[in-house]
Amino acid sequence: MQKDKSFESDELEADIQEVVFTASEIQQRVSELGKEISKDYYNLNPLFVGVLKGVLFFMADLLRMITIPVEVDFLAVSSYSSDARNRGMVRLDKDLGTLITSRHVLFVEDVIDTGLTLNYLLSTLRTRHPASLEVCVLFDKPRVRLIDIPLKYKGFDLPDQFVVGYGLDLRERYRNLPFVGLLKSQILLNKISESDTSR
Amino acid sequence: MQNNNLRSKQEQSLESTESERISFAHQAEEIFTRILDFYGIEWQYEPRTFPLEWDKDGNVIEAFTPDFYLPQQNLYIELTTLKAKLARYKNRRLRLMKELYPEIHIKLFKRREMREMLVKYGLYDEASQFKTDSTQNQTRVGKENLHAEG
Repeated sequence: MQKDKSFESDELEADIQEVVFTASEIQQRVSELGKEISKDYYNLNPLFVGVLKGVLFFMADLLRMITIPVEVDFLAVSSYSSDARNRGMVRLDKDLGTLITSRHVLFVEDVIDTGLTLNYLLSTLRTRHPASLEVCVLFDKPRVRLIDIPLKYKGFDLPDQFVVGYGLDLRERYRNLPFVGLLKSQILLNKISESDTSR
Repeated sequence: MQNNNLRSKQEQSLESTESERISFAHQAEEIFTRILDFYGIEWQYEPRTFPLEWDKDGNVIEAFTPDFYLPQQNLYIELTTLKAKLARYKNRRLRLMKELYPEIHIKLFKRREMREMLVKYGLYDEASQFKTDSTQNQTRVGKENLHAEG
């Protein structure tokens, strides 16, 4: 496995079969995205919006690469789960504290796969009449997309495998890995089988 | 009183979701519809059968019925709960489908992708079912052959 020199965690790395994107590859791409966004949104005072909590890592790194004035806010949404299905439809658990009417909004996401959650959130934000609403996603999994969503900025296409790290988790673990790695298949199966103590 | 009871049952029936009214071939399909319902995505279950092969008299001898159609996305979805080796049969029919109906948008969700989607939504018990082979899948293939014969 290709090691990341700045990160040492035998406990977490032992579960990783292979590094898919190294920390330096991610930082390089984030830097490129930051430059591109800074140029496109020059003089527009954009508002970056993210959904808790996977986007934290990408948002923090991206913001530090932005060279223009920018504001940031976060949403939290009830994703589908065995508990949530009894409560009906998707809903916002935490709304924005910022009015977005007539603002240039950039929706920042760590990963997009089916597009179901993002589609709901974009539809919700559109009703508030922003001046513009675009999407910046670091990791894309287009093979499983159900809803076609235009992505103005994109970092990487993810392989057709279960990966973790840099915000991507399995049962809340591995988010803090600075790289993206392929989880060992046996670890994945074991984690799925663990009795869920969080419910 | 009887009428009230009857009306109550009718109302209950109307209130029941589409997912509850349909007899799905596999539990994964039902879970999939519940996820779509949760996000307000319109869906239809097996709305159309596509003939794939005909005999010399023009009778359909093989057909394919995708599991779902999402009208707003103009997209057909086929979920496969089959293990990789057993999925070859389905893959072959999907290839035929793309050759004969190139204008139709269809997406196959592999067994592993289904499992990962369930994991993403925290449905670990359901996801763990995809660790082992399912006899229901064999039934499903048989049912699709009957489509062709019918």
